[in-house]
Amino acid sequence: MSHLHADPAASGAAPGAAPRAPAAGIPGSSLPGPFPVGHYAGALRTKLRSFARVQLLGELINLRVSRARVYFELRDADGAIPCAAWRADWEEITARAGGAPREGMQVVVAGGCGYYAGSATSSPGFSFDVLDLRLAGAGDLLARIERLRKQLHAEGLLDTQRRLALPALPRTIGVVTGEGGKARHDVLAALQRRGWAGRLVWAFAPVQDRHAAPAITRALGELASVAAVDVAIVARGGGSLVDLLCFCDETLCRTVALLSVPVIASVGHHTDRTLLDDVAAVSCSTPTHAADAAIRVDCVRARREQAQAAARLREHGRRAVLSRARTLVSLSRAPAAHLERQRTRLHQQLREIRASSRRRAEAEQRVTQRRAVVLERKAAAELRECRERRPRELERLSLALAAHDPQRTLERGYVLARSPQGAPLTTAVQASAAGELKLRFADGELDAQVRRR
Amino acid sequence: MSGAAGESAPSYEAAAARVEEIIRRLDSGEASLEETLALVGEGKALIELCAGQLAAVGSALEELRLDELVARLEAEAGS
Repeated sequence: MSHLHADPAASGAAPGAAPRAPAAGIPGSSLPGPFPVGHYAGALRTKLRSFARVQLLGELINLRVSRARVYFELRDADGAIPCAAWRADWEEITARAGGAPREGMQVVVAGGCGYYAGSATSSPGFSFDVLDLRLAGAGDLLARIERLRKQLHAEGLLDTQRRLALPALPRTIGVVTGEGGKARHDVLAALQRRGWAGRLVWAFAPVQDRHAAPAITRALGELASVAAVDVAIVARGGGSLVDLLCFCDETLCRTVALLSVPVIASVGHHTDRTLLDDVAAVSCSTPTHAADAAIRVDCVRARREQAQAAARLREHGRRAVLSRARTLVSLSRAPAAHLERQRTRLHQQLREIRASSRRRAEAEQRVTQRRAVVLERKAAAELRECRERRPRELERLSLALAAHDPQRTLERGYVLARSPQGAPLTTAVQASAAGELKLRFADGELDAQVRRR
Repeated sequence: MSGAAGESAPSYEAAAARVEEIIRRLDSGEASLEETLALVGEGKALIELCAGQLAAVGSALEELRLDELVARLEAEAGS
């Protein structure tokens, strides 16, 4: 780098910078200058930009995206270069590359040296200005996979499996996996755990390398061609993306997309989705999950729940009828009970009336008796009066009557004159006419004769 | 064979969900006698359906290789 510093200063920049504010240099120094730093920085930028544009291969790290610029470093075992790109350019570059590179990815960048000269208020900086980029190694694979994914998507092949109805309770499940792998055990264990009692058909195939894809494709095709198979699982444990490449095989993915049997993929990779994950009806992260997805009904629990539900239904049915029957019975009893109550009440009233009339009769009787007593007393009093008062009265009356008795008058010297027939003669004319008289004195009667008229 | 479980019959999950719904309705105590009896009848039928589907899966998990299955199916077809 040392000649870089000397070169621009010595050749182009020095003469132009000289006239301005000639400051004293370092005494005893044989070097030219001093030159204003901004001038030197500008000259340095020009010099750096004159370097040939190249492609660099390295591991991308420390990717930072700011508002206008994207920064990262490219490293390998022997050195590193800071890289930068305009944000707008970067998006185009990565789109061309088939996806944004990620940390640690091998990339090839194309571009050339650049130098930001800085200013009084901003720091300068060197960077390799990136004009294009390609994902290399695994990154390259990802890019190819991404392109294939887009292709399959454009052809509508990512949706065909998802449209298949996944039976909740498959009777036969086909499994494509490595014969000696852990995934085989995991699938079986999960199916047993869920109490599934169907038929499990193994279609063993290598699930590791690039050559595995044709075997997996063939196994799936054969499973799907057996009508009894309701669902197929492709299972393997985790691995690096390179290990999983077989699951990104175009032929395999196209075959799966066109199968009429739903395929559950569990190739065990969390960070990189394989194409099979995108094409399959269901994508799971582990073989255990795949088995659970294949048997959506936990048979053990389902049997228990069925028994419970049946018991509850029976209970509901029984209770509904029973409680309502009780209500009905009580309702049907109601009129009778009502009548009974009324009857009892009537009896009661009758008894009360009887008692009351008896009481009343007794009362009447008592009154009557009292009255009888009174009457008796009155009668007795009356009798007493008759016996005692009346004789006195009679005597008084007889005395009064006696006072009017003609006898009394005769006793006083008067004479009662009557005709011989007995008719009283109260006038002289009557006596003269009669001729003969009967004269009654107090002590006796005499016959007399009228002599002169 | 697998599709013969019934085109018109509800799926296992639909049937199970319906049973849940029925029990919720019955638990609410709002159903009339007539509705209760109808729901209980429907629920029992659905549970039988579910039980039937569970039973149809098989009685024990059976493992076999694809070629064994193919051979067996061919033997069945031949006989």
